Amino acid sequence: MKDIENLLTTFRDRLHGIQSLHDLEQLTIAYLGRQGVVNDHMQKLKDLAPDEKKEFGKRMNEAKKHIEIALQEKKSAIMARDESEHTVDITLPGTAYPRGSLHLVTYAVEEITRIFSRLGFIRVTYPEVEWEYFAFDSLNMPKNHPGRDDFETFFVNGAPDPNYGKMIMSPHTSSGQVREMMRVKQPPIRMISIGKCYRPNWSTKHVPMFHQFESLCVDRGINITNLKGTIDYFVKEFFGEHRETRLRPHHFQFTEPSFEVDITCDVCGGSGEIDGAKCKVCKQGWLELAGAGMVHPNVLKEGGINPDEYSGWAFAFGLERIMMMKEGLKLDDMRVLYSGDIRFLEQF
Amino acid sequence: MNIKITYKWLLDYLATDASAYELQKYLSLCGPSVETVEKVGDDYVLDIEITSNRVDMASVYGIAQEALAILPQFGKSAKIMLNPLDKYRLNFVTRELGAELPLHVKIENQHLVSRFTTVILDNVTVGPSPEFMKKRLEQCDVRSINNVVDISNYLMLSLGQPTHMFDYDKIGKATMILRESKQGEKITTLDGKEFELPGADIVIEDGDGNLIDLCGIMGGQNSAVTEDTKRVVLFVQTYDKVRIRRTSMTTGQRSMAATYFEKDLDEERVIPTLVYGLELLEHHANARQASPLQDIYPDPSPTKTVTISAAEIRKVMGVELEDDRIAMILENLGFEVKNFAGNYEITVPSWRKNDIALKEDIVEEVARVYGYHNLPNTIQPTVYVKQPKELDLLFHYQLKIKDLLKNVGLHEVMNYSMISKELIDTLGYSDQEHLFLTNTISEEIKYLRRSLLPSFVKIMKENEGRRENLKYFEIAKTYIPRKTGLPAEEFCLAIGVNTSFWDLKGILDLLIDELHIENVTVRNGTNPLFADNMQGEMVTGNKVLGTFGKLKPVYKDRVELTKDIYLAELAFTPFIEKAKLLPTYVPPIAYSVIKLDLTLQQSKNLGYAELEALAYKTSYLLRSVELIDRYNDKLTLRFYFGATDRNITEGDAKMELARINTLLKS
Repeated sequence: MKDIENLLTTFRDRLHGIQSLHDLEQLTIAYLGRQGVVNDHMQKLKDLAPDEKKEFGKRMNEAKKHIEIALQEKKSAIMARDESEHTVDITLPGTAYPRGSLHLVTYAVEEITRIFSRLGFIRVTYPEVEWEYFAFDSLNMPKNHPGRDDFETFFVNGAPDPNYGKMIMSPHTSSGQVREMMRVKQPPIRMISIGKCYRPNWSTKHVPMFHQFESLCVDRGINITNLKGTIDYFVKEFFGEHRETRLRPHHFQFTEPSFEVDITCDVCGGSGEIDGAKCKVCKQGWLELAGAGMVHPNVLKEGGINPDEYSGWAFAFGLERIMMMKEGLKLDDMRVLYSGDIRFLEQF
Repeated sequence: MNIKITYKWLLDYLATDASAYELQKYLSLCGPSVETVEKVGDDYVLDIEITSNRVDMASVYGIAQEALAILPQFGKSAKIMLNPLDKYRLNFVTRELGAELPLHVKIENQHLVSRFTTVILDNVTVGPSPEFMKKRLEQCDVRSINNVVDISNYLMLSLGQPTHMFDYDKIGKATMILRESKQGEKITTLDGKEFELPGADIVIEDGDGNLIDLCGIMGGQNSAVTEDTKRVVLFVQTYDKVRIRRTSMTTGQRSMAATYFEKDLDEERVIPTLVYGLELLEHHANARQASPLQDIYPDPSPTKTVTISAAEIRKVMGVELEDDRIAMILENLGFEVKNFAGNYEITVPSWRKNDIALKEDIVEEVARVYGYHNLPNTIQPTVYVKQPKELDLLFHYQLKIKDLLKNVGLHEVMNYSMISKELIDTLGYSDQEHLFLTNTISEEIKYLRRSLLPSFVKIMKENEGRRENLKYFEIAKTYIPRKTGLPAEEFCLAIGVNTSFWDLKGILDLLIDELHIENVTVRNGTNPLFADNMQGEMVTGNKVLGTFGKLKPVYKDRVELTKDIYLAELAFTPFIEKAKLLPTYVPPIAYSVIKLDLTLQQSKNLGYAELEALAYKTSYLLRSVELIDRYNDKLTLRFYFGATDRNITEGDAKMELARINTLLKS
């Protein structure tokens, strides 16, 4: 019986010195393992006198229980100590992962594509270097139209085409309208085209290369209310449910009627006033957003579509403009978009 | 163009109960956009945008005509109080003429001027303008000079027809020859600026051979009205708009008159303007008519009519609109409407003859005045339209690749599609091979890119030092000229880093892996932009997908880059043609796989790709090889051995490795 006392004393001494879960695990194996101290001690049972056997057995079981409990308590104590002592400064930064960026225009392109795909509109792309015919003549713009002159359009030195005229940089995505009509041959047309356009302007509000986003819908029975509905849907998806739109009369050669699309100002909430003073951003609560209209019958004819049978609407947004109008972006200089400045690009 | 008018000035012509702010709101919704209304003293100044097809609205009376149709739609009263087109007819002038002063007019080419009218006045007293005129002009941003000049501007703002006043006594031999200018002819305009004319401008020469007017733009200084002027020629014309715009743009002389004349003016408004001018000069400059009206108008425009049915109007508008309402809107706009059982025959007023020709034009008039805001929002029925597969893939993979590159730390850039000749020359390209803009506004953006890489050299130089590591990519079109037709526009993917060649190669390897493009090999390249010793081509089959390498030291030196830069360019479409959504599945080996490392001296004779190929050929137990370390010219490789049908031992693997090692060394 003295042995059991010694065994427990030794155990307590060893347990006392244990500081880690790993050492505790080793001690557990040393005492409770198959070939551990406790099992080893049990071997003595067979050498004892029968009257001693019962008492020894009982004492050994008590000792084993005692060891098990002590080990468990120690384990809990070490775990608790580890948690309380080893505090972590969770405000330190995590492991650095590389983080790149996408260009702002890419985000807008994807957003627009997503919004229009739900209405069954497909995305296409058309040439940036274009013939005058597709950019102007096919869009009902006569030869002497101011938009066609040197001050509004970049001309390219490539040889002119006998049928299509001079080579130019497309000043708008509308050049794709008749190309799309020729491609599908037969309506319905549900198209969006997002592309680079070029005009001779360079300032905070204009850059010589910019993006437009064009939409064209041609089918039987398309009317103005469809154009209104689609624009309203787009604006609410892109800018938010609280933004309202309106159409105002305007003039474009390739649409008739033509509209300018306005959206309520996000700065003054469409009231045109901030604390009683006039809102500096908008005109009486409204901001100009895009040009739109019903496709001119001459344009349909150029595309080989019978205007007596089909009608359509079209609109074009300046991509940079609608992006810069997104709430919270606060970007006011368009030139930085195409400057390649890493300090700008990396923010998005 | 924008014009400014005042509210009270408008009330001279229009009686209405609409306030200035109501006018702004209602006109903007249905007609011209009134951008601002500003209270000035006891009046309001309206700043109005006029679209290029509606120059007929660009005057106080023009706005009154619009308001007449629009205001009743909002329950506001509107009535024309004074119709200058009715009042200022020729028969309004019934004066007894004293002396008849002569003016000999010769028009060399009638295409230059569709209507040419003059009247001479004598006894002119040049002095300050009456207060009301001065105040209104200044409120509308027109500087008051003297009564004669001010009357000219007042007429333009009132009726939308520019006029000019010559000093009659400064016109040599009382003769005007209206002709095309010759290239290089010189004229000094009223504002003292001298111009050398491009040629084919509309000008007037007097009897002494002097140019006295740059027509439609500005009068000549030599015939200008001054304080001493006693006799004036009141001069009202309509010109060939194309020539006016051309002259105005090339001389940079964007006078207010030019912004009118470069659009289609109504010849029928010429006489009312002249007659009204006569009245104003008599009242406010003490002048006396001293010649009959001279009116050269050989080819009056015919009256136009358009036929349309009410049903057609309703169809495009998408709402039911009563016949009476349609007729009322059109009549208030000045159209004459004859209704034949729902079919309208509509006569277009002279001031709208250039912008109304088709049924659609009539629909627009009715719809806008009815109010687009009154139409419902109805999305059209959705139908299935097939997107061409190649476009679907193009856009899909663009985004996929952009996201991948972004997520490994690259920054997407968008550069201009045009570059400078200087950049082309610096990097050893030939400008002859590039298309260029013949009317660029900056030498920086003149030549259309054949490659995206020159732009990368430029921006990486500009951004060097802003960040230690620069990693850019761009997906954009290149423009390769063809013998005939439009250039080939091909999307390319370019990558540029200043970290290391292996960083660049790793990005390319990742791309190939992500898109599951199989059988890609690299071989030494010959791109002249890159250093001879550090460049390659990615090839699959016989197709070169792209090139990559270190910028050639001579170019690095020329652009003064401090760090080396590493560039890659891939043709986008061939690249994604090989892409797959999913790779072929390889089941994991069910038996033991033994990995063994081997450090090798790099060999000039045996490239890594060959080495790898040789290893696979040598041992059929070899499952894969990894490069785990490189140090100077030593490579540490990790070989994985295993059989598909049994467990192999470490001894088996070591024997395989020994065989490979022997072969590699031989």
